[in-house]
Amino acid sequence: MSQLIVHIIIPIAIFGFIALFTLFAVYAERKIAGFVQDRLGPMETGKYGLLQTIADILKLLQKEFITPKAADRILFAVAPIIIFGAVYIGYSVIPWAPDWLPANTHTGLFFIMAVVSIDAIGILMAGWGSNNKYSLLGAIRAIAQMVSYEIPVGLSLIAAVMITQTLNLNEIGYQQGILSADPILFLGIWDVSHIGGIFAWHVFQAPHLIVVYLIFFIASLAECNRAPFDIPEAESELIGGFHTEYGGIRFAFIFLAEYAMMFLVAMLGVVIFLGGWNTPLPNIGVIRLADWTTGIGWGIFWTLLKSLIVVGVQIWIRWTLPRFRADQLMSLCWKVMIPLGFLCMAISGLWRILVMV
Amino acid sequence: MEEFIFYAFAALAIGSALLVVSLKNTARALFLFFVTLFSMAGLFIFALADFVAITQIMVYVGGVLILMLFAFMLSNKELLKSLQQLSGRWINLPNWQSLLLVLGFLAVILWGIIEWQQQTPEWIVQNIKQGNIIQPNDNNVQQLGLRFMTQYVLPFEVISVFLLMVLIGAAHLSRKEEQR
Repeated sequence: MSQLIVHIIIPIAIFGFIALFTLFAVYAERKIAGFVQDRLGPMETGKYGLLQTIADILKLLQKEFITPKAADRILFAVAPIIIFGAVYIGYSVIPWAPDWLPANTHTGLFFIMAVVSIDAIGILMAGWGSNNKYSLLGAIRAIAQMVSYEIPVGLSLIAAVMITQTLNLNEIGYQQGILSADPILFLGIWDVSHIGGIFAWHVFQAPHLIVVYLIFFIASLAECNRAPFDIPEAESELIGGFHTEYGGIRFAFIFLAEYAMMFLVAMLGVVIFLGGWNTPLPNIGVIRLADWTTGIGWGIFWTLLKSLIVVGVQIWIRWTLPRFRADQLMSLCWKVMIPLGFLCMAISGLWRILVMV
Repeated sequence: MEEFIFYAFAALAIGSALLVVSLKNTARALFLFFVTLFSMAGLFIFALADFVAITQIMVYVGGVLILMLFAFMLSNKELLKSLQQLSGRWINLPNWQSLLLVLGFLAVILWGIIEWQQQTPEWIVQNIKQGNIIQPNDNNVQQLGLRFMTQYVLPFEVISVFLLMVLIGAAHLSRKEEQR
């Protein structure tokens, strides 16, 4: 019985976190946009505009359900649930701290990859169900982009998994810090098992993983349909793409899914490449910084901090770079990132055989 | 609790599969096919085949289903109409063929169950005696990897060569004709 209660409380807590994060991230996004474009951003509601996003969400919740007359009612209503559900399920296997994750499975990483691909079905459903030219065009663009960019994401994850030798995200977290059972070699030479810190992260254990992380980061931007890869939404050409017809709480769910996806891919990248819940501070002689800053509370703190920094970079990129053209998008994927991904995979194999032994 | 979830998945799989073949609206039927595949994946988990379940979602939902939806959306509306009219009558050739297939499958499954209950195969009895059973917490991925690279390496390689052929064929079909 107590297990059942845990099974109910944890999803609610995660949902609460996603909602809170979205409120915070939208505010941050608008403020950063204001900074980049040399203006102030929201200033009127609350001190420094802090209550702006809360006011926005209250407005969205009060709105009437409007379904276009020619729309497919069922598909139109179900699509936002599937889009959000796909991303939401992904949170079930990501570790926040040592042994502190909703589900400790041996297939965690593979599970996330599979579940996130359901997102595409939801978007296609929204685009088709709206019965609107622009929505359908946006949805088809979104699918073409997401299906193409799943390949570099998959290749970069395979390159990383060849180093980690496990799909269990909890174990991947353990491999990158002082709690590791196996010896950790910085750049394959220097034993840092008891020093830990930033040296023990996967990107520094095998330096080619930095390139792999860049591939993963760029491709994951395309997976979340964010600028510079936001041609599925493209306000100026498609008036919002697949969610043109949505309003009120349904739109809120699509919006929530977008921000949840941003945080999910940021967190996944952090767990696999950037040390997960491990501290960046190393042990230096008697100053046991890594020992002092490892634990459940610290773990949650580091995961949150690192993921929020990555989300910050995503927002920064969005407001700095212009949108890609569709053909540029595809040639970047197929001609640059996929060959580079294969190369990194080969290096991973060699690294595993020759260096890590 | 687990039994309840199992029967819920089973009912969902059967119900949605029945709806997929009987719905007039092809787009809805295709989207409903997603429910069928998803609940099948849920049933795989009950057989402790979590890797197969996830692969099912990855390959069928992420790949095949999206391909089918694209094919549906890009195909001619008139062509689809004639197909839909054909399936309107109850007693016609396609229905009889499918009925025959269904009965055949049912017979095979029933025969298997009856045989099984009369006498469990020898290798299963032996493995149960030796305690050689998969537990829910076992790492199936590692087992699968080891088996693929040792015991089943030939089928595995044959499949990979076959997939490579398919990839080359797809690339050949989709490339531009040379300008003459």
